[in-house]
Amino acid sequence: MADEQNPPAAPPPSGPARTWPPVADRALLGKPIRRIDGPDKSQGKAKYTYDIVRPGMLYGRLLSSPHPYAVVKSIDVTPALKVPGVKAAIALKDPAGPTAKIWYQGEEVAAVAATTEEAAEDAVRAIKVEYEILPALATVEQSMSANAPVNFPKGNVSAERLTLRPDKADVEAALKASAHIVEGTYSTQVQTHTSLETHGGICEWNGEKLTAWVSTQAVHATRDGLSRALQMQQSDVHVITDYMGGGFGSKLGPDVQVVIAAKLAKEAGAPVKLMLTRKEEHLITGNRPSAYAKVKAGVDAQGKLTAFDAETWGTGGAGQGAGFNIPYPVYAFGVLRQRHKDVFINAGPQRAMRAPGHPQACFITEVVVDELADRLRMDPLELRMRNLPPAGPDGQDLPTQQWRKYFPMAADKIGWSRRHATADTGSGPIKRGMGCAANRWAGGGSNRTRAACEILPDGGVVMRIGTQDIGTGTRTLVAMITAETMGLPLTAVKAAIGDSEYPWAPGSGGSTTVGSISPTVRIAAENARDALFAKVAPSLRVEPAALVAKDGRVQVKDNPAKGMTWKEACRLLGVQPISADGAWQQGLSSSGTSGVQFADVEVDIETGITRVKRVVCVQDCGMIVDRITAESQVYGGIIMGIGFALFEHRILDRNTAKMVNPNMEFYLLPGMSDIPEIDITLIDQPERGPVGLGEPPTISTAAAIANAIANATGARVRSLPLTPAAVLAALHEERSGGTR
Amino acid sequence: MAPRKKDQPGFSRRTFLKTVGAGGVAAGVLGPKAAEGQAVKAVGPGAVPIQLNINGKVHRLEVEPRVTLLDAVRNRLNITGVKRVCDRGACGACTMIVDGETVYACSTLAIEMQGKMIRTVEGLAEGTVLHPVQQAFCEHDGLMCGFCTPGFVTATVALLEKNSKPTKEQARRALDGNICRCGTYARVLEAALDPKASGVRRG
Repeated sequence: MADEQNPPAAPPPSGPARTWPPVADRALLGKPIRRIDGPDKSQGKAKYTYDIVRPGMLYGRLLSSPHPYAVVKSIDVTPALKVPGVKAAIALKDPAGPTAKIWYQGEEVAAVAATTEEAAEDAVRAIKVEYEILPALATVEQSMSANAPVNFPKGNVSAERLTLRPDKADVEAALKASAHIVEGTYSTQVQTHTSLETHGGICEWNGEKLTAWVSTQAVHATRDGLSRALQMQQSDVHVITDYMGGGFGSKLGPDVQVVIAAKLAKEAGAPVKLMLTRKEEHLITGNRPSAYAKVKAGVDAQGKLTAFDAETWGTGGAGQGAGFNIPYPVYAFGVLRQRHKDVFINAGPQRAMRAPGHPQACFITEVVVDELADRLRMDPLELRMRNLPPAGPDGQDLPTQQWRKYFPMAADKIGWSRRHATADTGSGPIKRGMGCAANRWAGGGSNRTRAACEILPDGGVVMRIGTQDIGTGTRTLVAMITAETMGLPLTAVKAAIGDSEYPWAPGSGGSTTVGSISPTVRIAAENARDALFAKVAPSLRVEPAALVAKDGRVQVKDNPAKGMTWKEACRLLGVQPISADGAWQQGLSSSGTSGVQFADVEVDIETGITRVKRVVCVQDCGMIVDRITAESQVYGGIIMGIGFALFEHRILDRNTAKMVNPNMEFYLLPGMSDIPEIDITLIDQPERGPVGLGEPPTISTAAAIANAIANATGARVRSLPLTPAAVLAALHEERSGGTR
Repeated sequence: MAPRKKDQPGFSRRTFLKTVGAGGVAAGVLGPKAAEGQAVKAVGPGAVPIQLNINGKVHRLEVEPRVTLLDAVRNRLNITGVKRVCDRGACGACTMIVDGETVYACSTLAIEMQGKMIRTVEGLAEGTVLHPVQQAFCEHDGLMCGFCTPGFVTATVALLEKNSKPTKEQARRALDGNICRCGTYARVLEAALDPKASGVRRG
């Protein structure tokens, strides 16, 4: 994802070597700092796109296709225009042209704008559309079957690709030589992002210029996307995202709905707000693709993993890929092979979702590893420890691969020594078990990131950067780094973000935000501060290099009494603020994280219900900037992982391919009573600089829970979600022949 | 008017809905006294004038009978703290307190809320001083993107006004009607259980 977002650019500009302040000197960095926008959010004062009202604003609404596979034969929007309050109605499909086909349920067919939401709803209902309904493909099994209709231009199934070598002979020989083999089919479901603020925006024209308030993770990419779709100059499009209600990878551009809002606004001659309905949100704004794997893996008698051979497939919906790489690259299998096919079905296309590909790959691999340990009658933790990548020549593991250290730490915390070997043999229906899994993620940062810092004559400081806060705490980080560099309290600086007219920063995806903005903000702040030092130094009769900014003062490093308050220093600027830019440089951030998670569960073998009692997590993220928001990211990742493990499931009707649960009562998300005790140990690596943390903590939760359920019950569930029905079915199978 | 009993002759689901629905509406529009003894008076489908008492202030507005409390408050009165997320009473982002009880405002008709005391997240702070629950949410970081936060804060206030020292289980149960996608639950629970959250307002 990082690579899609940030293709390699020119080498970064050279400049003075940059560093973070020494740990002992840090006033804010690495400390638990409360989110600066907490008060606005907790009072309902934070204005999200969904909350913004513009003068004369109309409400937009889509007519979404009720059919997953169809041809639009005719559209008549004129009845919509007769509904009182309706100001615009446009057809979005051309029955005579190439856009007549509908590929998935929820695809946009027409749109209206009206003075009230109710009138817009009535207008959508009034539009007359004739569809020719075609037989839809609802499941990968249907699409792959020999007598299926071919619904997609390049066929229902992509060509097989060999994603991991070596050649066939090696894998089969290694499997043959293995002491134990595990063979099975594993799968994970389609998960939807379910952002609480649905996708959408408000578009307002001023002549040929467009202002768009958009719920997005990428103000710059949204500006660029709108200018492309509307064939406008980029400079004529202005995108604003002050607050946004969750995206998780699904909000990295304007998508169809904001482009449609712009068209409606032009047609109606008034600003238009178009926010998707909850149903549309589930149907058309992306999802985590499903994953299926037929695996054969081996281990030798000493517990050395020998070979991993996988045939994999999955669906990302209509025409989209469903790639994931197994074995998940934590353990060193001797030889590997993966052959993968993408399968297309008539359902909404996938989008990047929090650690794309990783939770699926981690689940499959970690379950296989546990099964191999069972074959060996070895502690699965011991098998993992024996198969970690070898340490370097100095006997040290890479800073990005610290599992050898983290596994025992987490095992100790969860009480792994009390873990029983296979099934819980205690009496009663409630069985207890433990499981574990590891994760890794790249993160990194974009070398194209820029920021602009102003120091004002009255002492005010503004840091402008075109990033956005998607709930991760980015606004707070920008303020913290600026304040730390200026030696000021957090409240003395303003973090100006969420605007495409601020300097370029990447979309918030791939856990690259912190790695992109932290160095850039630091450098812009240092440049501005140093310009202030140059202004102040003569009046103190010292060299600028002798000055430091600390505790709200500008003072001589070796003689703190010699100096002045920050405000006095800024007064020397007269009427001319300092304006300084910052460009990303290498060395202040890095990439690569590692972590482990352990789960302790209770399973009721009469009902099949799993309760996660405790999750223990050890995770690094380079230099911790804000301990509070960093921990919150980990809590959030684990909780989303619990949803993936136990509840979340996009269910399509197998006959019609219509989604059965496009809502929030049957698309199940974890609630307060589903949350276990969560024990987080964040490992600080101050020497590495910050590394993104949004994605890694959600990767291994489901795998750890699956392994814990098997440990509790003695029955192995090889597919997600781990529903009561799936657990009961596995228990039944175990009693009548075995699942292991 | 006396509600018709279910075993009366000629009862059907349709007449039941008409009687109860329209009766409720009439009572709401005219006030209980005026409605007394009058024949059923259907209102709508056009806009009708209503009054809503929100955070101690009476608002007069015209809404169609089908308009929900949430949409009336957000779209007609521009009080936007509470959110619409699931739009069918499953997620709690629209939580308001009506006569001391939490309601899903997305699934409550505005016209039926006349004469009741409606409280939203906007009514909690006193000037610039946060309500202790809001303060606790900030201190414990019981918020990330913040979209569910007004609903969670409001539900927590309603809980603590009834039970100032909830157990962990009681707090969990009281907040089980709210959904957060960022995964703030652990810290929302900490905030709800913080003794300061149910304490007197500071400042």
